[in-house]
This record gives sequence, C-alpha cells and structure tokens, in this order.
Amino acid sequence: MAIDMTQFYQVFFEESAEHLANMESLLLGLDISHPDPEQLNAIFRAAHSIKGSAGTFGFSDLADTTHILENLLDRIRKQELLLKEEMVDAFLEAGDLLKQMLEAHQGRGEVDQLQVAEIGSRLRDLSTGVTAVEDEEEDKKKVGEDEKDTAFSQLGQADGGVLCSYDIQFVPNEVSLSNGAVASLIDELKSIGTVDVIDRPAEEGNGALGGVWRLRLQTSAAQDKFSEQIDFISDSGAWRIFETSPSPRSDESYGFFDEASVVVDGGAEACYGFFTEDFRPDNSSCADAGSSTEPYGLFSDPPFSLPADSSPVEELKISEEESGYGFFDNEYTRAHLMRSDAISDGDAAPATLESLAFGEASMALPSPVSNPNLEDIPVDRVISSSKVSIPAGNGNGNGHGDGKAARSVLAAAGGESSIRVSVEKVDQLINLVGELVITQAMLLQTSSLMPSGAPEGLANGLAQLERNTRDLQESVMSIRMMPISFVFSRFPRVVRDLSGKLGKQVELKTSGETTELDKGLIERIADPLTHLIRNSLDHGIESPEKRVASGKNPVGTITLKAYHQGGNIVVEVGDDGAGLQRNRILSKARERGMQVSDQMTDAEVFNLIFEAGFSTADQITDVSGRGVGMDVVRRNIQSMGGRVEIDSMPGVGTRITVRLPLTLAILDGMSVAVGDQTYILPLSYVIESLQPDIGDIKTLSNQMRVIQVRGEYLPVVVLHEVFSLKSKWKSLTQGIMVVLEADGAKAALFVDALVGQHQVVIKSLEANYRRVPGISGATIMGDGHVALILDISAIVEMAKSSMQKAA
Amino acid sequence: MESRSQPVGAVSDEEQVSSEYLTFTLGNEEYAIDILKVQEIRGYEEPTFIANAPVFIKGVINLRGTIVPIVDLRIKFGLLEVEYTPFTVVVILNVANRVVGVVVDSVSDVISLLPNQIRPAPEFSGSFDTKYIVGLASLAQRMLIVTDIERLMSSADMELIDGVR
Repeated sequence: MAIDMTQFYQVFFEESAEHLANMESLLLGLDISHPDPEQLNAIFRAAHSIKGSAGTFGFSDLADTTHILENLLDRIRKQELLLKEEMVDAFLEAGDLLKQMLEAHQGRGEVDQLQVAEIGSRLRDLSTGVTAVEDEEEDKKKVGEDEKDTAFSQLGQADGGVLCSYDIQFVPNEVSLSNGAVASLIDELKSIGTVDVIDRPAEEGNGALGGVWRLRLQTSAAQDKFSEQIDFISDSGAWRIFETSPSPRSDESYGFFDEASVVVDGGAEACYGFFTEDFRPDNSSCADAGSSTEPYGLFSDPPFSLPADSSPVEELKISEEESGYGFFDNEYTRAHLMRSDAISDGDAAPATLESLAFGEASMALPSPVSNPNLEDIPVDRVISSSKVSIPAGNGNGNGHGDGKAARSVLAAAGGESSIRVSVEKVDQLINLVGELVITQAMLLQTSSLMPSGAPEGLANGLAQLERNTRDLQESVMSIRMMPISFVFSRFPRVVRDLSGKLGKQVELKTSGETTELDKGLIERIADPLTHLIRNSLDHGIESPEKRVASGKNPVGTITLKAYHQGGNIVVEVGDDGAGLQRNRILSKARERGMQVSDQMTDAEVFNLIFEAGFSTADQITDVSGRGVGMDVVRRNIQSMGGRVEIDSMPGVGTRITVRLPLTLAILDGMSVAVGDQTYILPLSYVIESLQPDIGDIKTLSNQMRVIQVRGEYLPVVVLHEVFSLKSKWKSLTQGIMVVLEADGAKAALFVDALVGQHQVVIKSLEANYRRVPGISGATIMGDGHVALILDISAIVEMAKSSMQKAA
Repeated sequence: MESRSQPVGAVSDEEQVSSEYLTFTLGNEEYAIDILKVQEIRGYEEPTFIANAPVFIKGVINLRGTIVPIVDLRIKFGLLEVEYTPFTVVVILNVANRVVGVVVDSVSDVISLLPNQIRPAPEFSGSFDTKYIVGLASLAQRMLIVTDIERLMSSADMELIDGVR
C-alpha cells in the first residue's frame, strides 16, 4: 500500500528551507581560523537533516548534493580538514543551489545542472585536499573544555586505542524482542570488541518487558558508537552504560556525568522505576563493578539499593522523592561509612564523588551526620571532584527540570519544541477572539445602560470577562509574532555578496534581533529593508580609498537596529557613508522639472528621493541607480501602516528610520464624529487636535483653506465635504481640527467632534467590497456597528494636491 | 446570446434533476435565484454609510465579524417607492467568494424547478440587462425571472468589486 507522500511535501519544503537558512546564517557566523565545533556540528546537522528527508521523499538531486556537502562538513567537523574561506564560499553556493532545487521541486524556477555538477566537483576537490591538523590533540582538549556535548564524542576518539570495559544494561522494548534485534545488537557489539552476556532474563515468565539484559563489552571504540543502538532497541530511557575500567584521565568523570544526566533527563518516573524494579536484580552484579561486595548486603530494600557507580545526581534524585528521608537513616549512614573505608584504599575517584554527594545531602537535610572519614580524603581529591560535581549538584538543587541543563546546548541547537500550524488557523483564531472582544464590549455597554446600574455580580463578572478577553487577545496575537531576526538573518549574506561585488569593505552590525513583530509584517518588511541596505551599500558607503582619504576607517559600517517605541516597531538602517547631498538632490529635482526651492527643509529635500524615478546616482549599476526602489520602499511601508524618515549628514552618514505598527490586525485609533457617522483615525498619525479660532483660518485663491498652527500654515481637509456628509456645525470654528502627519507632510482634518480612543480590530473592506478612496479599512465598534478607518496618507495627499491646484 | 445559451446548455445534460430556487419580489416582478448562493436571510439594519459610493450601495454592516456591503436592488432597478421598515428583508448571498447583502421587497418561497421549466427569455431592454437572466419560468399564474445572481453581483454594473470594468 503506497502512502501518498505529496501531503508531506509542503512540510518538507518548509523544513528544508529553514534548515538552509539556518545553515547559511551559521556559515556566515563562522570564525574561519577558529571554528566553534558546536557551530560546525549545527551546520552538519542541518545538512544531514536535509539529506535525510530529501532521501525519504525521493528528491535525489537534493540528497546527492547534500551528501557531498555533508561529507566535507564531516571531515571538517572531525578536524581532518582545516576550514578555509573557499570552503565557506562553496558551502554558501551549494546552499543557494539547494534552495533553487527546492524551488524547482515546488514548481518555481529551474536548476542549472551544470552548476550542480560544478559545485559537486568543487566540494569533492575540497574534501580530498587533505590537510593534516597538527595541533589536533590540543584542539581536542580545548573542545573538551568548551563543550561537553562535543567533548563526549571527541573524547571517545581521543581515547581511541585505550581498551575500555563497559557494563551495559538495558530493557529491550517489545518490537526488538520480537524481531531478534537483541541478538543482532550483540553481533554488532562483537564486531567492535568482546562481548560477554553476564545476565539475561529468563526465557519465559517475565512478561512482555522481557527483563534486564546485562552485557560486558570490552572495546576501544567510543561509547557513542554503540550507545545509539542500545537506545534504539531499549524501552524509552531504560538503558545504561557504565564505564567500568578505571581511567587515568580525570576527564573521564565528565563523560560519566553526562551519561548520568541523560538518564535523569529521561524523566523522574523512568529513573525511579528503573532503580526500584529494573535494577534490583542487578545489585549483585553491580557490586562486582565496585571494589567490594560486602557493603551491598545492607541495601537490601529497594529504595536504598544503589549501584556502586551511581552518580550523585541519581542518588539525590531519589532523595528528592518521598523515600529521601529513609535514605539518610542510620543504616545508610553506616553503610556509607563502611563504603568510605573501602574507598580510601581503592578506587578513589568515584568514591570521592559519592562522599561529596553525601556531604551535600547532609547539608540539604539537617540530619546530624558526621563522617570523620571524609576528612581522610586528600584535599586535592575533594577539590578536583567537586569541580566535576558542580553541574550535577545544580541539577539536584532545582529538581528534575535542571537535569536537562547538561543537555541544554544540544537542545538549543536541535530546535525548540514547536508545532507547525497553518497561518489560516491562527488567523481564524484571531478573528474569533476579535469577535469575542466585540461581544464583550457590547455586553459592557448594555450593562452600563441599565437604568439602575448593573447588579454587582454582573458588573464583577463583566470586569473579569474584560480582563480575560484582553489577556486572551494578547496571547493569541503573540502567536503570530516572530522575532525580526527572521528578516535580519538574510542580510549578512546580502552585505557579504554585494560588498565583494562593489569592492567595498563593509561590516554589518545588527541589534534588537529579538524584537517581535507580526508574521505578516515580517514577510512584507524584508523587501524594503533589502532595498535600503543595498542602497546604503551602493550609495552610502564610499570606496575604501575615499574613506581613507576622508579620514575614516576603510571598513564601512551598516547598522541594522530594531526596537520598540511606543506602540510601534522601529527599524533603523544606518550607514557611516557619505550622506545625502542636499544640493545634488535639489539640482536633480530641478532637472526633472519638480517644483523645488532652496527654502525647503532638509527633511523635505530628503523626502524627494522617495519620488518615483528619482536617482542621483551618476551611473546605473546592477545594484541600484535606476530610480526605482525608494518609491517602492515607501509605498510598501505605507501599505503596512508604517512611515519612513531620513536623517542624513554629509560626510557622517545616513539613517533611514522605518516605523511600523506592532501588528496588522490591531490599531490604536481615535474615533471622530462627522454628522451621524463615526470614523477612526489611526492614532500614530495624529499629532494634536485643537478648536480653531476664526482668525486662524485663511483661504488661498479663495478656495483652499489653510489654518495657522504654531506659525505653520497647514492645508485644511474638511471631512464632511470630502465625504459629502452633513456636518453638525455651520462654521469651522465649532468643530475640531485634528493635525495629522503622514509622509513628512502635515494637514489639518476638520471633524465635528472627538469621540474617544480605542484599540480596534482591523477588518478588510476589500474582502467583500472594493477599495474606497480615503478609507483604509473597517472595524466593528462596541455597539456592533461598522466604523470606517480613514486612510491618512490619502487624506494628506488630497490636501497637498488641492493646495498645489490652488497655488 | 452566448451568455444565455451557455447555462441552459449546461443544465440540459441533467434534465431530470430539479434545482431549488429562492424567489423574491421587487416591485411587481418576481425573481428566482439559485438557493445554493443564499447564505441567510435577515432583517434590515441601518448600515454604515460609505462616502461617494453609488446610491444603491447602502453601506456596510457587521455580519458576525465580517464586513458585508449592502446593495438595495430596488434602487438599482429603479423602483420608485423605497422605504425601510422592520419588515424589509436582506438576502445575504455567497457569490464569487464574497458575501454580499441585497435588499429586496420581500422573500416569497423556495421552489423546485426542472431545467425544462425554464424557458429562454425574450430580448428586452430595460433596467435589468438580459445577460443576467437565465430564463423565465412560469408556475401557476406566476412568472419567475430566473437570475444568475452570481454574474449580476460580480458585474461591473454593481460596482461591488475592484477592477471589474
């Protein structure tokens, strides 16, 4: 029976695209001379995941290319090869090709097979150019200190050649019981070393679980070589590996702890059940791993029965459970004393650990346990082992959750737990919550209209409903929020490629990547920002020679910043380049027949670059200069309800500030009344409102009205005239003038009255109707009626054009 | 001509299958529209006025969170007496992936018509363009104008949709 794989394709495409993006950002972040092994691993994992799923879905071209990529990465990861600049270049190109392949599989665009072959051979060439790593050992030591996770595998290799003995215990799961996987596991283990089956469950009677297997493996292979297989055939988490041969390396306990915390990670139940049941039969066999069988007789009760090599983590793990108190009774103390005795002449390292754990535990519980033998342990031992036990000790202090800390690095790289939900579903949820908010507002209004006021119970309930709905709305909205790093992450590549092409040296600095904004905005902000960055690179940053000549650092800087300000997200693109040249813009504008004057403010002059077709570039490059772009940037940002501003100083640099609303779905609005209608003004455009005096209002050419506000003459837009409504008032002095600013221009809007401020849920008018000039959308008011949201940009534009007509 | 023969031809393939139609009156005329296009029928409520829209577009209402434009077909068809009472009916239609409300005089009933009961309409000129008429059906003494409501609503005449000219 064939399963229709196509239904999973979309998920594969999305995931692979994410992996590719992740890989690219990691590649760009790599320090070529000292690559962080964890980053290399993360890149490798990304490539590996793509290869794996591409293979599953039968996209062989993707799988083949990633396979070559992976091979090279693997060799770099294992430090067989030194990372070189050209490798990163090749990886990036390969990443681009993979992206193209993905697109092609989705029916967009085509892949140049020549390029595929070319990059394949290039990668192969790079991976065969063997460069021995001289300071391999040293590196590995460093690795061991840096990263426990990598240390784990690396150590294994560093230890290669040293024969180690492992005690392996596991409870096979049902599947592997039925298909003979245990036997094949043993065969496999035999291939890497000698295997003794120490203990195996009885053939029948033990039920479905099959019982505990115990193997002794002597091998020179690293532990991770076989731990996966054991994990695979075992019941979840029900396996352990002890390294039983004493190792001269103090690092050994590292691996030991890691292993222990992995088990803890498996969850308290697993550990617990493990110790009380699965491990009980092993008491005797555990003992032969330790130094003496004798003391174990004392731990006959299951909760106290501990294998000799159990780490403090596990010990205290149990002490946290209810049985913990029983743990420290005299019997145990006595046992411990005896054990400590046994230690002083034997296997010291694990013993110290035990004692230390014991010491800690006695601190945690004020039970008067004095152990003179502790003092017998040499001081340096205590110190060296305490270093080791600190991470484990932390785990104890905070309970199970922190058992994960040891693996947090791995978890962070492996991705947080999340679910993939289609945007439509989220939007539907947001709509429904929007409805709820409206209904709640309606209820509140109705209750306030009750003649004798709402009964207390009802009022309280409504107040709580209001709170809950607001919380609900906030958390639902936050589902759509994504960090802006999704956009920022593509720019290092853009800057790298482009600065190479233009022969400029540019450094990109980003900050505020975690600033969250609506997914819809994220998708739409990417293009305008790319454009701004390209512009900064091409026009802003000068060539290195010019920069040196003007006393600047030859390396230019482009800063990309995102932060919250008020109810807005602000994204700044700044450069320390030449800055905008006012005179040049003005003369270009005159050439193009624009109406400009030298009296214009800087802001007005700079805004000219947003005019369609405007370019001051002397020559058209393939990067920019055609004069399309800035107008598109502004239009895009305006369509998102945002604004663009330019600051610039000649010789110092240019900063373009983009202000965006937090979300596309909710807007802070001011409701105004005109005649019997209510309109919403987006609050971000409102500067002030005032009641005009008759003397403030003047006319231009007897048709255009202007109003003087703080020495400035602003064009007046009379809303009831524009919308052919009947105003409540006969004279403009009776109503309210709302001063608005959009696109750097101001206008005064005449309305009958201000009604109030609301957060409104934006609804599209175009979904069922069409665009209406001067209206950007609609919303539903508390009483269930529809109110239209004014398009301020259009209104200001209207004022500007009628002003120009009049002039 | 083509526009008329197409829907008639389409139904003739399955001649024996009857379809259900909602009938409503506008002035003295009775119209029938495909019931599958009708989402619901509700009373008239004062919509929010849209500035500078054609007169027959009364505005928009909030239909459980959706902004729905309301078209008064009586004004569109040039009926003289147009008044809004508590009994004025709005038929909410689901056409061309949009939700649109139309104001009619009254809704009569739901009827079943076999394809062969619908006769081609004669060419006539008037406020109502014949290209939106599927045909005429007679039922007892009534003459029903079977209308392709989807085509009518998405036409440029109704000015409901952007870019249809």
